[in-house]
Amino acid sequence: MSTTYILAATPVADRIHFFSSMTTDDAKFIALGLRRQDPDLLDHLIQQYQYRLFRYLMYLTANRERAEDFFQETWIRVLERGHQYDGKSKFEAWLFSIARHLVIDWQRTKKPLSLDAITEPDDGAPKEFVNEHDPSPLQIALTGEQQAAMQTSLSKLSALYREVLLLRFQEELGLAEIAAVLDTPISTVKSRLYRGLEDLRLLLTGETV
Amino acid sequence: MNDSLHQRAKQLIAQERIEGLSAADHQWLQQHLQDCSECVAVSSATTQALRSLRAVSIPISANLASRTQFRVRLRAQQLQISEPRWRIVWLSSAASWIFGAATAPYVWRGLQYLGHRAGVPNIVWQMSFALWWALPAIAVGAILLAENARRGSESDWLTQLK
Repeated sequence: MSTTYILAATPVADRIHFFSSMTTDDAKFIALGLRRQDPDLLDHLIQQYQYRLFRYLMYLTANRERAEDFFQETWIRVLERGHQYDGKSKFEAWLFSIARHLVIDWQRTKKPLSLDAITEPDDGAPKEFVNEHDPSPLQIALTGEQQAAMQTSLSKLSALYREVLLLRFQEELGLAEIAAVLDTPISTVKSRLYRGLEDLRLLLTGETV
Repeated sequence: MNDSLHQRAKQLIAQERIEGLSAADHQWLQQHLQDCSECVAVSSATTQALRSLRAVSIPISANLASRTQFRVRLRAQQLQISEPRWRIVWLSSAASWIFGAATAPYVWRGLQYLGHRAGVPNIVWQMSFALWWALPAIAVGAILLAENARRGSESDWLTQLK
């Protein structure tokens, strides 16, 4: 009997216990639950991925209120489009992809900017997802004295480089998975990673980028 | 030691973190680092940069998850209510289309007969046939428009809840 059928006949308390022991690799199970729009599963996923999704949105938007709005909208999209997740890729990669598209859609409605301009920075100076002059970028969100250098460096780094560095070194996603999230070739992901890592190192050592 | 060796070493230092290295490249890099303090500094700085990056913590609102869970459950309820309604609409549309296709020749002849009996121009009964054929699609279109308008007002209301 598949997990779905076992779960459907299980009391809520036991289901919650099952979710808490669920591994993040259980993508097929998540796909089945999303297809059924299972509210308990969604509650669990929101809880489980809250920090990682919020951090990703902060890296993209550099604005707390906006990141919170996108956080909520992302989960509404997960509910509405859950049937599109097939469980063949990591759930977090799909989740980040949804969040990223929301941010890009918002950016496109905000000002007439082509999608290429946002997603293809390698032809010249990297573009930001947000206005450079927006007040209180990541610095507001990051706290602690030890992080002071990182705060400054990250806020100087292009959002597109911040994004790939986060996905690779904090989320530990593979290059192909990052390419899927960004909907861009692996070669572009690599070049952003090399450039981002180089820029981050230079910024942290006080050298000119 | 020439610049190209340093360039290669720096490239491999980054590659090791981003893609990984082959055994031969790894061995070459280790040997180079034994003799080159400049590249050792680059390697250490890269390691330190990544360590700091991984240590970054971003505070999150305590109730963000619960607020989101509430919104998602509310939306799920709305979807559950509207889903059967939509199923009926689509099933009715499909049935209407099949019935329309099957009966079209008879309706055509019937309208033609009535048109001739009433003595109206051909265009009148032909237009009647077109209207009869398009009526289900018009009805579905009207339902979709009404639903979209309702969703728009609902999302405004949800925005105020945030």
